[in-house]
Amino acid sequence: MKTLCVSLVLAISATALGAQQDLTARLAGRVSPEVAALVQQLATSAAARGLPVDPLIQKAIEGSAKGVPADRVATALRVLSGQLDAAAAALQQAGAAQPDTDAIAAGAFALNAGLSGQNVAALAVASRPSNSVAATLRVASTLAAMGVPAADVVELVTQVIATGGGTNEVLGLPAADMAGVSRGGGVTPAQAAAGLARAAAARANAPGQQKPRPPHP
Amino acid sequence: MIDFHPQVKQLLDGELTLADLPPELRAEGEEALRLLAAVDREPVTFPGLDARVLAKLRGRAQAPGFWRRLRLRPWTLVPAFAAGAALALLLFRPIPTPAAATVTVRFVLFAPDAQQVALAGSFNQWDQAATPLVRSGTPGVWTATLTLPAGQHQYAFVVDGARWVADPGAPAVDDGFGRRNSVLSL
Repeated sequence: MKTLCVSLVLAISATALGAQQDLTARLAGRVSPEVAALVQQLATSAAARGLPVDPLIQKAIEGSAKGVPADRVATALRVLSGQLDAAAAALQQAGAAQPDTDAIAAGAFALNAGLSGQNVAALAVASRPSNSVAATLRVASTLAAMGVPAADVVELVTQVIATGGGTNEVLGLPAADMAGVSRGGGVTPAQAAAGLARAAAARANAPGQQKPRPPHP
Repeated sequence: MIDFHPQVKQLLDGELTLADLPPELRAEGEEALRLLAAVDREPVTFPGLDARVLAKLRGRAQAPGFWRRLRLRPWTLVPAFAAGAALALLLFRPIPTPAAATVTVRFVLFAPDAQQVALAGSFNQWDQAATPLVRSGTPGVWTATLTLPAGQHQYAFVVDGARWVADPGAPAVDDGFGRRNSVLSL
Protein backbone atom coordinates (compact mmCIF):
# COMPACT_ATOMS: atom_id res chain seq x y z
CA MET A 1 0.00 0.00 0.00
CA LYS A 2 2.84 2.33 0.93
CA THR A 3 4.58 1.47 -2.31
CA LEU A 4 1.38 2.18 -4.24
CA CYS A 5 0.99 5.58 -2.58
CA VAL A 6 4.58 6.48 -3.27
CA SER A 7 4.13 5.29 -6.86
CA LEU A 8 1.09 7.50 -7.35
CA VAL A 9 2.87 10.51 -5.91
CA LEU A 10 5.83 9.89 -8.18
CA ALA A 11 3.62 9.36 -11.20
CA ILE A 12 1.71 12.59 -10.64
CA SER A 13 4.91 14.50 -9.95
CA ALA A 14 6.47 13.11 -13.12
CA THR A 15 3.43 14.12 -15.17
CA ALA A 16 3.33 17.64 -13.72
CA LEU A 17 7.03 17.97 -14.35
CA GLY A 18 6.54 16.74 -17.90
CA ALA A 19 3.77 19.27 -18.56
CA GLN A 20 5.93 22.05 -17.16
CA GLN A 21 8.86 20.99 -19.31
CA ASP A 22 6.57 20.87 -22.35
CA LEU A 23 5.37 24.41 -21.67
CA THR A 24 8.93 25.63 -21.13
CA ALA A 25 10.05 23.96 -24.33
CA ARG A 26 7.24 25.56 -26.34
CA LEU A 27 8.08 29.02 -25.07
CA ALA A 28 11.87 28.70 -25.23
CA GLY A 29 13.37 31.19 -27.65
CA ARG A 30 9.95 32.52 -28.63
CA VAL A 31 9.04 34.83 -25.76
CA SER A 32 10.96 36.97 -23.30
CA PRO A 33 11.76 35.49 -19.88
CA GLU A 34 9.26 37.80 -18.14
CA VAL A 35 6.45 36.77 -20.49
CA ALA A 36 7.44 33.12 -20.08
CA ALA A 37 7.27 33.50 -16.30
CA LEU A 38 3.81 35.06 -16.51
CA VAL A 39 2.57 32.33 -18.86
CA GLN A 40 3.93 29.73 -16.46
CA GLN A 41 2.09 31.36 -13.58
CA LEU A 42 -1.21 31.81 -15.45
CA ALA A 43 -1.03 28.34 -16.99
CA THR A 44 -0.44 26.67 -13.63
CA SER A 45 -3.38 28.52 -12.16
CA ALA A 46 -5.58 27.82 -15.19
CA ALA A 47 -4.75 24.11 -15.21
CA ALA A 48 -5.63 23.89 -11.53
CA ARG A 49 -9.07 25.30 -12.37
CA GLY A 50 -9.57 22.88 -15.27
CA LEU A 51 -9.02 25.54 -17.92
CA PRO A 52 -7.06 25.02 -21.14
CA VAL A 53 -3.52 26.41 -21.21
CA ASP A 54 -2.87 26.21 -24.94
CA PRO A 55 -4.65 29.52 -25.76
CA LEU A 56 -2.39 31.28 -23.26
CA ILE A 57 0.73 29.80 -24.81
CA GLN A 58 -0.47 30.68 -28.31
CA LYS A 59 -1.28 34.27 -27.31
CA ALA A 60 2.16 34.74 -25.74
CA ILE A 61 3.89 33.39 -28.84
CA GLU A 62 1.68 35.51 -31.10
CA GLY A 63 2.41 38.70 -29.17
CA SER A 64 6.13 38.11 -29.19
CA ALA A 65 6.13 37.19 -32.89
CA LYS A 66 4.37 40.47 -33.64
CA GLY A 67 6.96 42.42 -31.66
CA VAL A 68 4.46 43.55 -29.05
CA PRO A 69 6.06 44.93 -25.85
CA ALA A 70 6.04 42.53 -22.90
CA ASP A 71 3.66 44.64 -20.82
CA ARG A 72 1.03 44.60 -23.57
CA VAL A 73 1.45 40.85 -24.02
CA ALA A 74 0.94 40.50 -20.27
CA THR A 75 -2.26 42.55 -20.45
CA ALA A 76 -3.58 40.45 -23.33
CA LEU A 77 -2.75 37.26 -21.44
CA ARG A 78 -4.68 38.45 -18.38
CA VAL A 79 -7.67 39.41 -20.54
CA LEU A 80 -7.59 35.99 -22.18
CA SER A 81 -7.32 34.29 -18.80
CA GLY A 82 -10.46 36.16 -17.72
CA GLN A 83 -12.24 35.08 -20.90
CA LEU A 84 -11.37 31.45 -20.21
CA ASP A 85 -12.82 31.79 -16.72
CA ALA A 86 -15.95 33.49 -18.04
CA ALA A 87 -16.42 30.83 -20.72
CA ALA A 88 -16.09 28.04 -18.15
CA ALA A 89 -18.63 29.78 -15.93
CA ALA A 90 -21.06 30.14 -18.85
CA LEU A 91 -20.73 26.47 -19.74
CA GLN A 92 -21.30 25.49 -16.12
CA GLN A 93 -24.35 27.74 -16.09
CA ALA A 94 -25.52 25.75 -19.13
CA GLY A 95 -25.35 22.56 -17.10
CA ALA A 96 -21.86 21.23 -17.79
CA ALA A 97 -20.45 20.45 -14.37
CA GLN A 98 -16.94 19.99 -15.73
CA PRO A 99 -16.79 21.49 -19.23
CA ASP A 100 -14.08 20.12 -21.49
CA THR A 101 -11.12 22.33 -22.30
CA ASP A 102 -11.91 22.39 -26.02
CA ALA A 103 -15.35 23.87 -25.33
CA ILE A 104 -13.89 26.38 -22.88
CA ALA A 105 -11.30 27.53 -25.44
CA ALA A 106 -14.03 27.88 -28.07
CA GLY A 107 -16.20 29.75 -25.57
CA ALA A 108 -13.38 32.19 -24.77
CA PHE A 109 -12.89 32.80 -28.49
CA ALA A 110 -16.63 33.41 -28.88
CA LEU A 111 -16.49 36.00 -26.09
CA ASN A 112 -13.58 37.68 -27.86
CA ALA A 113 -15.58 37.68 -31.08
CA GLY A 114 -18.41 39.61 -29.43
CA LEU A 115 -20.76 37.03 -27.93
CA SER A 116 -21.82 37.32 -24.29
CA GLY A 117 -21.66 34.72 -21.57
CA GLN A 118 -25.41 34.26 -21.91
CA ASN A 119 -25.00 33.68 -25.65
CA VAL A 120 -22.37 31.04 -24.94
CA ALA A 121 -24.61 29.33 -22.39
CA ALA A 122 -27.60 29.38 -24.78
CA LEU A 123 -25.52 27.85 -27.59
CA ALA A 124 -24.16 25.18 -25.25
CA VAL A 125 -27.69 24.25 -24.18
CA ALA A 126 -28.85 24.13 -27.80
CA SER A 127 -25.93 21.92 -28.82
CA ARG A 128 -26.50 19.06 -26.42
CA PRO A 129 -26.73 16.20 -26.87
CA SER A 130 -26.50 15.85 -30.64
CA ASN A 131 -23.89 18.47 -31.53
CA SER A 132 -20.41 19.30 -30.31
CA VAL A 133 -20.50 22.34 -28.03
CA ALA A 134 -17.00 23.37 -29.12
CA ALA A 135 -17.87 23.15 -32.83
CA THR A 136 -21.08 25.12 -32.31
CA LEU A 137 -19.23 27.86 -30.46
CA ARG A 138 -16.55 28.06 -33.16
CA VAL A 139 -19.20 28.48 -35.83
CA ALA A 140 -20.97 31.11 -33.76
CA SER A 141 -17.78 33.08 -33.21
CA THR A 142 -16.95 32.94 -36.91
CA LEU A 143 -20.40 34.30 -37.76
CA ALA A 144 -19.91 37.06 -35.18
CA ALA A 145 -16.50 37.84 -36.67
CA MET A 146 -18.19 38.15 -40.07
CA GLY A 147 -20.38 40.87 -38.64
CA VAL A 148 -23.55 39.00 -37.75
CA PRO A 149 -24.98 40.47 -34.50
CA ALA A 150 -24.69 38.16 -31.48
CA ALA A 151 -28.46 37.77 -31.03
CA ASP A 152 -28.85 36.82 -34.71
CA VAL A 153 -25.98 34.33 -34.41
CA VAL A 154 -27.67 32.60 -31.49
CA GLU A 155 -31.03 32.55 -33.25
CA LEU A 156 -29.61 31.13 -36.47
CA VAL A 157 -27.51 28.42 -34.83
CA THR A 158 -30.17 27.31 -32.36
CA GLN A 159 -32.78 27.28 -35.13
CA VAL A 160 -30.65 25.08 -37.35
CA ILE A 161 -29.85 22.65 -34.53
CA ALA A 162 -33.45 22.59 -33.31
CA THR A 163 -34.66 21.62 -36.77
CA GLY A 164 -32.32 18.64 -36.81
CA GLY A 165 -29.29 20.26 -38.34
CA GLY A 166 -26.30 18.04 -37.70
CA THR A 167 -22.71 19.05 -37.12
CA ASN A 168 -21.95 19.32 -40.84
CA GLU A 169 -24.87 21.65 -41.47
CA VAL A 170 -23.87 23.82 -38.53
CA LEU A 171 -20.25 23.87 -39.68
CA GLY A 172 -21.42 25.01 -43.10
CA LEU A 173 -23.25 28.08 -41.80
CA PRO A 174 -20.39 30.60 -42.22
CA ALA A 175 -19.86 29.51 -45.82
CA ALA A 176 -23.62 29.62 -46.45
CA ASP A 177 -23.79 33.11 -44.97
CA MET A 178 -20.85 34.26 -47.05
CA ALA A 179 -22.47 32.79 -50.14
CA GLY A 180 -25.59 34.83 -49.37
CA VAL A 181 -23.48 37.96 -49.17
CA SER A 182 -21.59 37.11 -52.35
CA ARG A 183 -24.80 36.90 -54.37
CA GLY A 184 -24.78 40.66 -54.40
CA GLY A 185 -27.63 43.05 -53.98
CA GLY A 186 -26.01 44.68 -50.97
CA VAL A 187 -26.95 41.86 -48.61
CA THR A 188 -25.12 42.13 -45.28
CA PRO A 189 -23.91 39.11 -43.29
CA ALA A 190 -26.69 39.83 -40.76
CA GLN A 191 -29.35 39.82 -43.47
CA ALA A 192 -27.91 36.65 -44.96
CA ALA A 193 -28.00 35.02 -41.53
CA ALA A 194 -31.62 36.06 -41.04
CA GLY A 195 -32.43 34.49 -44.40
CA LEU A 196 -30.75 31.24 -43.36
CA ALA A 197 -32.72 31.21 -40.08
CA ARG A 198 -36.00 31.75 -41.94
CA ALA A 199 -35.13 28.95 -44.33
CA ALA A 200 -34.45 26.58 -41.45
CA ALA A 201 -37.74 27.50 -39.78
CA ALA A 202 -39.63 27.00 -43.03
CA ARG A 203 -38.08 23.57 -43.48
CA ALA A 204 -39.19 22.63 -39.99
CA ASN A 205 -42.74 23.83 -40.63
CA ALA A 206 -43.05 22.08 -43.96
CA PRO A 207 -45.53 19.14 -43.89
CA GLY A 208 -43.91 15.86 -42.90
CA GLN A 209 -40.79 17.52 -41.58
CA GLN A 210 -39.31 17.14 -38.16
CA LYS A 211 -40.67 19.63 -35.64
CA PRO A 212 -38.18 21.80 -33.87
CA ARG A 213 -37.17 20.19 -30.64
CA PRO A 214 -36.96 22.35 -27.58
CA PRO A 215 -33.45 22.99 -26.38
CA HIS A 216 -32.30 20.87 -23.52
CA PRO A 217 -32.37 22.70 -20.21
CA MET B 1 60.23 12.64 34.04
CA ILE B 2 62.61 10.50 36.11
CA ASP B 3 65.27 8.69 34.15
CA PHE B 4 66.01 5.45 35.98
CA HIS B 5 69.06 3.28 35.50
CA PRO B 6 68.45 0.52 32.96
CA GLN B 7 68.74 -2.14 35.66
CA VAL B 8 66.17 -0.29 37.77
CA LYS B 9 63.90 -0.25 34.72
CA GLN B 10 64.36 -4.01 34.51
CA LEU B 11 63.34 -4.15 38.16
CA LEU B 12 60.16 -2.16 37.38
CA ASP B 13 59.47 -4.48 34.47
CA GLY B 14 59.77 -7.44 36.80
CA GLU B 15 62.82 -8.84 35.04
CA LEU B 16 64.99 -8.36 38.14
CA THR B 17 64.42 -8.36 41.87
CA LEU B 18 65.68 -5.79 44.33
CA ALA B 19 68.23 -8.36 45.45
CA ASP B 20 69.56 -8.69 41.94
CA LEU B 21 70.49 -5.01 41.81
CA PRO B 22 73.98 -3.93 42.73
CA PRO B 23 74.11 -2.29 46.17
CA GLU B 24 74.67 1.19 44.72
CA LEU B 25 71.40 0.88 42.77
CA ARG B 26 69.28 -0.57 45.51
CA ALA B 27 68.25 2.82 46.93
CA GLU B 28 67.21 3.94 43.44
CA GLY B 29 65.37 0.65 42.96
CA GLU B 30 63.50 1.06 46.24
CA GLU B 31 62.56 4.62 45.30
CA ALA B 32 61.25 3.42 41.93
CA LEU B 33 59.19 0.69 43.53
CA ARG B 34 57.81 3.18 46.05
CA LEU B 35 56.73 5.51 43.23
CA LEU B 36 55.17 2.64 41.36
CA ALA B 37 53.23 1.57 44.41
CA ALA B 38 51.98 5.12 44.87
CA VAL B 39 50.36 5.18 41.46
CA ASP B 40 46.56 5.25 41.79
CA ARG B 41 45.24 1.96 40.51
CA GLU B 42 41.60 3.02 40.61
CA PRO B 43 39.85 2.97 37.24
CA VAL B 44 39.83 6.37 35.62
CA THR B 45 36.33 7.75 35.41
CA PHE B 46 34.82 10.98 34.11
CA PRO B 47 31.78 11.87 36.18
CA GLY B 48 28.60 11.75 34.10
CA LEU B 49 30.32 10.74 30.88
CA ASP B 50 28.83 7.24 30.81
CA ALA B 51 25.39 8.59 31.38
CA ARG B 52 25.79 11.20 28.67
CA VAL B 53 27.08 8.69 26.13
CA LEU B 54 24.35 6.20 26.94
CA ALA B 55 21.68 8.87 26.77
CA LYS B 56 22.99 9.92 23.37
CA LEU B 57 22.95 6.34 22.12
CA ARG B 58 19.44 5.73 23.46
CA GLY B 59 18.26 8.98 21.86
CA ARG B 60 19.74 8.02 18.53
CA ALA B 61 18.05 4.66 18.75
CA GLN B 62 14.69 6.21 19.62
CA ALA B 63 14.70 9.39 17.50
CA PRO B 64 13.32 8.46 14.09
CA GLY B 65 15.55 9.31 11.17
CA PHE B 66 14.30 10.64 7.84
CA TRP B 67 13.40 7.24 6.48
CA ARG B 68 11.97 6.11 9.84
CA ARG B 69 9.77 9.20 9.95
CA LEU B 70 8.50 8.27 6.46
CA ARG B 71 8.05 4.72 7.73
CA LEU B 72 9.85 3.65 4.61
CA ARG B 73 13.01 1.85 3.87
CA PRO B 74 15.08 3.39 1.10
CA TRP B 75 15.08 0.23 -0.96
CA THR B 76 11.30 0.25 -1.14
CA LEU B 77 11.66 3.25 -3.46
CA VAL B 78 13.19 1.08 -6.17
CA PRO B 79 9.95 -0.77 -6.98
CA ALA B 80 8.04 2.43 -6.21
CA PHE B 81 10.03 4.34 -8.82
CA ALA B 82 9.45 1.56 -11.32
CA ALA B 83 5.74 1.38 -10.52
CA GLY B 84 5.49 5.19 -10.62
CA ALA B 85 7.06 5.34 -14.05
CA ALA B 86 4.77 2.56 -15.27
CA LEU B 87 1.72 4.33 -13.85
CA ALA B 88 2.75 7.62 -15.41
CA LEU B 89 3.03 5.91 -18.77
CA LEU B 90 -0.21 4.00 -18.29
CA LEU B 91 -2.41 6.75 -16.89
CA PHE B 92 -1.04 9.82 -18.55
CA ARG B 93 0.24 8.62 -21.90
CA PRO B 94 -0.97 10.63 -24.88
CA ILE B 95 -4.27 9.20 -25.97
CA PRO B 96 -4.03 8.19 -29.58
CA THR B 97 -6.64 10.15 -31.45
CA PRO B 98 -8.05 9.27 -34.79
CA ALA B 99 -6.31 11.10 -37.60
CA ALA B 100 -7.79 14.58 -37.64
CA ALA B 101 -9.54 15.63 -40.81
CA THR B 102 -7.50 18.00 -42.90
CA VAL B 103 -8.51 20.62 -45.41
CA THR B 104 -6.40 22.17 -48.12
CA VAL B 105 -6.70 25.94 -48.18
CA ARG B 106 -5.37 28.52 -50.62
CA PHE B 107 -4.45 31.88 -49.12
CA VAL B 108 -4.38 34.88 -51.45
CA LEU B 109 -3.27 38.45 -50.87
CA PHE B 110 -3.13 41.29 -53.32
CA ALA B 111 -0.05 43.30 -52.41
CA PRO B 112 1.44 44.85 -55.56
CA ASP B 113 4.14 46.81 -53.75
CA ALA B 114 5.35 44.00 -51.51
CA GLN B 115 8.79 42.47 -51.87
CA GLN B 116 7.88 39.47 -49.76
CA VAL B 117 4.76 38.16 -48.08
CA ALA B 118 4.48 35.45 -45.43
CA LEU B 119 1.67 33.75 -43.58
CA ALA B 120 1.80 33.49 -39.80
CA GLY B 121 -0.87 31.98 -37.62
CA SER B 122 -1.88 29.61 -34.90
CA PHE B 123 -1.11 26.70 -37.24
CA ASN B 124 2.60 27.56 -37.57
CA GLN B 125 3.32 29.07 -34.14
CA TRP B 126 3.06 32.56 -35.67
CA ASP B 127 6.40 32.00 -37.34
CA GLN B 128 6.67 34.38 -40.25
CA ALA B 129 9.54 32.40 -41.72
CA ALA B 130 7.53 29.18 -41.87
CA THR B 131 5.10 29.87 -44.71
CA PRO B 132 6.19 32.34 -47.39
CA LEU B 133 3.71 33.23 -50.11
CA VAL B 134 4.82 33.15 -53.73
CA ARG B 135 3.91 35.47 -56.58
CA SER B 136 1.17 34.04 -58.73
CA GLY B 137 0.81 34.62 -62.46
CA THR B 138 -1.33 37.69 -61.85
CA PRO B 139 0.77 40.79 -61.03
CA GLY B 140 0.63 41.76 -57.37
CA VAL B 141 -1.07 38.56 -56.25
CA TRP B 142 0.65 36.39 -53.68
CA THR B 143 -0.55 32.89 -52.81
CA ALA B 144 0.19 29.95 -50.54
CA THR B 145 -1.56 26.61 -50.32
CA LEU B 146 -1.63 24.76 -47.02
CA THR B 147 -3.21 21.60 -45.67
CA LEU B 148 -4.57 22.36 -42.22
CA PRO B 149 -6.38 20.31 -39.60
CA ALA B 150 -10.11 20.91 -39.29
CA GLY B 151 -10.94 23.42 -36.61
CA GLN B 152 -10.52 27.10 -36.05
CA HIS B 153 -7.36 28.98 -36.94
CA GLN B 154 -6.24 32.57 -36.62
CA TYR B 155 -3.72 34.14 -38.95
CA ALA B 156 -2.38 37.25 -40.60
CA PHE B 157 -0.16 38.10 -43.55
CA VAL B 158 3.24 39.61 -42.87
CA VAL B 159 4.26 42.02 -45.62
CA ASP B 160 7.97 42.72 -46.08
CA GLY B 161 8.74 41.16 -42.71
CA ALA B 162 7.23 44.00 -40.72
CA ARG B 163 3.63 44.83 -41.58
CA TRP B 164 0.95 42.51 -40.18
CA VAL B 165 -2.14 42.57 -42.38
CA ALA B 166 -5.45 40.82 -41.82
CA ASP B 167 -6.89 38.90 -44.74
CA PRO B 168 -9.37 41.29 -46.39
CA GLY B 169 -11.41 38.33 -47.59
CA ALA B 170 -11.91 36.65 -44.21
CA PRO B 171 -13.70 37.47 -40.96
CA ALA B 172 -11.48 38.98 -38.29
CA VAL B 173 -11.35 39.45 -34.54
CA ASP B 174 -9.42 41.68 -32.17
CA ASP B 175 -6.01 40.15 -31.52
CA GLY B 176 -5.66 41.79 -28.09
CA PHE B 177 -2.72 43.88 -29.28
CA GLY B 178 -4.59 46.54 -31.21
CA ARG B 179 -4.63 44.67 -34.51
CA ARG B 180 -6.97 42.17 -36.17
CA ASN B 181 -6.50 38.45 -36.72
CA SER B 182 -8.24 36.72 -39.58
CA VAL B 183 -10.35 33.71 -38.64
CA LEU B 184 -10.53 30.51 -40.59
CA SER B 185 -13.01 27.79 -39.63
CA LEU B 186 -12.53 24.45 -41.31
